[in-house]
Amino acid sequence: MSRDDELLAAGDAALARLERGDAELVIVDDTSELTRFAGNEIHQSVAERSRYVRVRLIDDNRVGVGEVRGFGEAAVERALHAAEESRRVGTGSGVSPLPAPDHRAGGPVAFAPATAAATPEQRAGLVSIVTGAARAHDVNAYGALSTGTRTTAIVTTAGVRRAATATQASVVSVARGDDGGGYASRHSADVDALDVDGLATEVVDTCERNQGATAIDPGDYEVVLSPYAVTDLLEHLAWVGFSALATQEHRSFMRMDERLMSELVTIRDDATALDVFPFPFDAEGVSTQALRLIDHGVCAGVVYDTPTALRDGVSSTGHSLPQPNTRGPLPRHVVMDAGTTPWKDMVSSVSRGLYVTRFWYVRDVHPLRTVITGMTREGTFLIENGRITRPVKDLRFTQSIVGALDGVVDVSRERRLELGEGESGVLAPWLRINRFTFSS
Amino acid sequence: MRQVSERALDAASAAGASYADCRVVNRTVQKITVKNGAVAAVELFEDEGVGIRVIVEGAWGFAAVDRLDGVSVEAAARHAVQIARASSRVNRIAVRLAPAPPLVGVYRTPVTRDPFTVSLDDKVSLLMRTDEAMSHQPQVRIRECSLEFVREERHFASSEGARLDQTIIESGGGLDATATSDDEVQTRSFPNSFGRHQVCAGWEAIDAFDLPGNAGRIAEEAVALLSAPVCPAGTMTVILDATQAALQVHESCGHPTELDRVLGHEAAYAGTSFLTPDLLGTFRYGSEHVTMTADSTRAPGLGTFGWDDEGVAAQRSVLVDQGIFTGYLSSRETAAAIGQVSNGTMRADGWARLPIIRMTNVNLEPGTSSLEEMIATTERGVYLETNRSWSIDDRRLNFQFGTQNGWEIVNGKRTRLVRNPIYSGQTPEFWRSCDAVAGPDEWLMLGVVNCGKGQPSQSMHVGHGAAPCRFRDVRVEPAR
Repeated sequence: MSRDDELLAAGDAALARLERGDAELVIVDDTSELTRFAGNEIHQSVAERSRYVRVRLIDDNRVGVGEVRGFGEAAVERALHAAEESRRVGTGSGVSPLPAPDHRAGGPVAFAPATAAATPEQRAGLVSIVTGAARAHDVNAYGALSTGTRTTAIVTTAGVRRAATATQASVVSVARGDDGGGYASRHSADVDALDVDGLATEVVDTCERNQGATAIDPGDYEVVLSPYAVTDLLEHLAWVGFSALATQEHRSFMRMDERLMSELVTIRDDATALDVFPFPFDAEGVSTQALRLIDHGVCAGVVYDTPTALRDGVSSTGHSLPQPNTRGPLPRHVVMDAGTTPWKDMVSSVSRGLYVTRFWYVRDVHPLRTVITGMTREGTFLIENGRITRPVKDLRFTQSIVGALDGVVDVSRERRLELGEGESGVLAPWLRINRFTFSS
Repeated sequence: MRQVSERALDAASAAGASYADCRVVNRTVQKITVKNGAVAAVELFEDEGVGIRVIVEGAWGFAAVDRLDGVSVEAAARHAVQIARASSRVNRIAVRLAPAPPLVGVYRTPVTRDPFTVSLDDKVSLLMRTDEAMSHQPQVRIRECSLEFVREERHFASSEGARLDQTIIESGGGLDATATSDDEVQTRSFPNSFGRHQVCAGWEAIDAFDLPGNAGRIAEEAVALLSAPVCPAGTMTVILDATQAALQVHESCGHPTELDRVLGHEAAYAGTSFLTPDLLGTFRYGSEHVTMTADSTRAPGLGTFGWDDEGVAAQRSVLVDQGIFTGYLSSRETAAAIGQVSNGTMRADGWARLPIIRMTNVNLEPGTSSLEEMIATTERGVYLETNRSWSIDDRRLNFQFGTQNGWEIVNGKRTRLVRNPIYSGQTPEFWRSCDAVAGPDEWLMLGVVNCGKGQPSQSMHVGHGAAPCRFRDVRVEPAR
């Protein structure tokens, strides 16, 4: 029996024990391993095997949730009991019903057998590619290489019965020399397809170019942002504005059908895209639809879960987080459409500006205005007369994301798959932006 | 729990571990959320498993599993050994631990009333009364309040002979009122932002918060912020309330004194630190008014316990003594690297995560001033309340914070409410400009319930004692 079938059968058995009301059972089985390195040595290497059962019970217009991290029938029983205990004290209003099956064909799932079978020895060997490259260039490498397999099964009394198993492999590294560092990352469903050699070359190269940075005055600069930095912009935009709940609560920047950004900017959420960790359904078991959020700079759509869809009289787009919640739905497969310019040519159009490798510690300052702040890190370079001339010390920026995307003047034809801070997949290009505000 | 740990240690030793420790953890969490007059969620979480840490041939390995039967536990111990052995073939430097006596004991968070003995009905009733008190302001479109309770049973055993049992109990609660107009959104929170204030204590802490009694005032403040003038810009005096001072301590003292960051263990993720070992004992971090401690004995902070997660006893360490940088947060491995012994700050986010250096209760010790006196002796400045945004660079120098509320101070008087204030600076210059800290009467034990660090990511609950404090010549501006 496959892991998918095993979890579905466990869910069926639990539902059969239910005496009354509606119920949703989510069972998630996780195997994750991670090898971490610092100063060209492996200093932490860990493995975790766990399963959790989450039960949402709805009866008498009250909802309760019980979640137990543990294995076997006893865990299911405890989760059912906890859900009933919490359901009993509900207030009897505002309860969202379980969605019916949508009968859409299952989309692709990011899965690779090699990732599921990865060993500690294999991870150590891949790490040694990075640390070896660093040693060869007399710098130190730091980072982590992880592999993971997750099976998610959802069964409900409304007839939803879905399961899928996904894998993920990631390597992230910082290389540090005497006076500066570089950064690179790679992500894939398939550990065998993880470009560790490419990462090692990139992180060491950026590190070597970023030695002896000098200070530069804060202010407004034209910038070329790498996909690492663009990912932060897109992820924060998703958090503060692409949710139907945010629009319903009047806290989103989105103004439907209005152009707020450059015509070069098209942003979608696409859980079916093969290159952004595809996964076919959301936390309610609803098929996740691909949709345009920003279409050539115009506000085009937001994502829905069942409660927000009911409120607006539309169908869920399949972007629910575990219900019930007060955060609302969330796009987790954000894709920015590519342009036509090779990224290496983007710098040549800049007479004076900055190339930013990555941002760090980005936080929302004013969500309605999409103002964020953060620092540049591990590779900020001055561009003069179409060429990168020297590294500069890290700068703090305080900038509206919508304002930045309104200033996009070029989008690269290449894109990179990144993982945002919230572990969502993001497919991001390089961007040239005509004005970006660095505050200190 | 003891049977599980003995089996794990035996299996690890048999497989070749020169050192092994084992943590069996059972965590129960209860969360209740009320939003806009309805119970939005009542959630009960249970979580149990074992984490086994080993050293083999000079390298670390760690494996965790949620199955506590003998076969699964022994398999996890052998897997930890396999992981360590794989790492040892790449590594050139062997792990070395500072000595620590193997301790035996029992610890339990002191509580007056166990929050898990209070009925769910009573908890929901408290939140519904809180919500109702916020409901009289029509411009407050989002009313949200919540309670959270945690009980964690921890058993620690090591191959050196340590055997420790702890029961940690946490109680937390809070409210957010979000007011909206056509062009503005403003949130006010109580007692702290980002959902709740939490402490290692029982239901008595929730009673002391008095959420219903404060809800109406907070809702009024959220509405007032919609039409308040924006914060003035310039270089001026800043007075922080205790909650914002606590976060300032967290970001600019707590994190940079973590010795694993200093040694580069977190360089690829959380970052490093400007507080390098050559500065220990001589570097002027702040003014003579600034003394900061790490104190895991100080109830009711979220970093209060009997022993850390590698069996080192709770203790008080001075990190900054009257402005001079004097100490780190350390572990057995990192302390050995600088010729010291651990001061007991290794903490893990549950059984499935490796213990790493975390803040315990990192406190700004009280001074001798008062908020009233600080305002009265300020010619021009702002008094800032309750964090709204925070960001700091990877070495913990360049920071920018925003707060929910600002009060303009002119000629010793608190005058008008201002909105969207942010302030920024460099850590040592900022703390050196501190010229007053309020006394014990205004000192509060606060905390952070979402401190992220480590790969895989870990979220930790940490405590911070702080009081209102004043800083001169700070850059202030409105978020535009």
